[in-house]
Amino acid sequence: MTLRRALVYFLREAAVSLVRSWKVSLLAVLTIAVSLLIGGAFLLLAANLSAVVERWREEARVVLYLEPDSLTAERAALAREIAAAPWVTAVEEVGPDEAAERFRTAFPSLADLVDGGDHPLPPSVAIAFDPAAAGSARFEAWLADLGERPEVDLVDDDRDWLRRLGALVTLVRGLGLALSAVLLAAAVFTISAVIRLTAYLYQEEIAVMRLVGATEFYIRGPFYAEGVLQGLIGGLAAVGGLWLAWTATARRSAGTLLGAVLAPEFLGWRTVVLLVLLGAGAGLTGAVLSLRRERLGAA
Amino acid sequence: MIQFFNVSKLYPGGQTALADVSFEIPRGQFVFLTGPSGAGKTTLLKLIFREEVPSEGQIVVNGRNVSSIPRRKIPYLRRTLGIVFQDFRLIPRKTVFENVTYLPRILGRDGKTQKRMAYQALRRVGLAHRLNAFPLELSGGEQQRVALARALINEPEILIADEPTGNLDPELSAEILRLFLEINLRGTTLLIATHDRETIRRVGRRVLTLDAGRLTGDEELEGTDPPAVHAARPLFEDEDGLDSGDRGDETAAGADDPGADPGVAVAAGGEPP
Repeated sequence: MTLRRALVYFLREAAVSLVRSWKVSLLAVLTIAVSLLIGGAFLLLAANLSAVVERWREEARVVLYLEPDSLTAERAALAREIAAAPWVTAVEEVGPDEAAERFRTAFPSLADLVDGGDHPLPPSVAIAFDPAAAGSARFEAWLADLGERPEVDLVDDDRDWLRRLGALVTLVRGLGLALSAVLLAAAVFTISAVIRLTAYLYQEEIAVMRLVGATEFYIRGPFYAEGVLQGLIGGLAAVGGLWLAWTATARRSAGTLLGAVLAPEFLGWRTVVLLVLLGAGAGLTGAVLSLRRERLGAA
Repeated sequence: MIQFFNVSKLYPGGQTALADVSFEIPRGQFVFLTGPSGAGKTTLLKLIFREEVPSEGQIVVNGRNVSSIPRRKIPYLRRTLGIVFQDFRLIPRKTVFENVTYLPRILGRDGKTQKRMAYQALRRVGLAHRLNAFPLELSGGEQQRVALARALINEPEILIADEPTGNLDPELSAEILRLFLEINLRGTTLLIATHDRETIRRVGRRVLTLDAGRLTGDEELEGTDPPAVHAARPLFEDEDGLDSGDRGDETAAGADDPGADPGVAVAAGGEPP
């Protein structure tokens, strides 16, 4: 028997078996779908958060808050010195008055906090830099030197909280993968049980096939194909369900921060293919495990 | 064709199924294997198609030492054998055609070839018109004939049957026996296990007797009333070459077997060709 004909036979037999035992097959498909849906949802969330963090990382700035009594000339000199560094892409010097004005614009209801009295907000120098250079030893040493300058009171580095956010994204992704792995293991177990049940239903026929000279490959092939089919269907159902959920979320949260952060893009095609293949792999694993020690159809 | 050399079989727990059994069945011979229940008949048959492995001794089938044949080669051994059981072992949810064509499917034959092989095998047992029937729509005799067609579909060199008439009434048993004899006359070696001494006495031929796992007899019997069979043509055939399915008389040889001797019926006691 040619491999092509054998594969056609395996798939046809597997499809017949899926239809024949559709209730237990549905159970197996659903366990795969749910586990991949949850894993996929975490991946989608992590991917979108990652993209946002990456975008923010490119826009990250370091703000040097200066001593309140620093002179305008000193601030200007510092800004010029900073602008001369090769990785700096922009420098903005903000005086106390302008800082107060910005605060009033951003938080009108709290404007009285900065009204009256001496300058409550310190002057500052905001530095934008090339993200590619950031993180290098020279850059970090240069930034540390700036922090040590007498006129600098405080260094506020956006990258500090972006690092924490990045760690959170990694945690979300890890949690998702761990949860998905546990659920997938449960799905493999379910598929294994379903395939064993199917093999039990077919034991008479398998015994006949064995007696007339069927090879192990020919006898086991349909069961492996059934596991793969269950996994593939489960994977496709998971991707479909995830897409529907993402579409609904994107529609509902359009124009909001939540929408901008959580649902700007769906999973890439590679991840989608990976999820479906993961389902097929789980199905095949379940089938292999279920028949590993079985002497199918032995008289 | 089939050779047993000092074969013993002990099951786990120490139960002896066969003890020091030796015999040889040459090509084309018709042999009954008899003995009381538990004598070891089924075990002996299972050893031939390697469902069981001997504890001691050697078994050679079609030139292959089946005692030491690797597991992966067992299917290839079985493809040269036809096996028939008392309980028919037909799959109820499959049609007659599907039940008969397991081996052609396994061998990867295309649909057209499968149909041709199924038709030929079923015609030999007089059931070509029941291709699309399901086993439960058939009588016991017809079911056994379907099982026989399944065993014959690849023209096996050896046909093994375990109590093939055990579930049938005397009339249907005679019909199945006639088929066996006809198959034997076409050159197939037959080994039939049965405890029905009356059938053996009537048909005759070589008889191996087992008792408590030991071969206690190996004799040639002259049949007292051997059924008349035809050497070359399928039984139960219509004039136009298509079967009606009814049990008919042994008819003239057909054109599909040019080597046949038309119209010559051979008594079951005669030598195979």
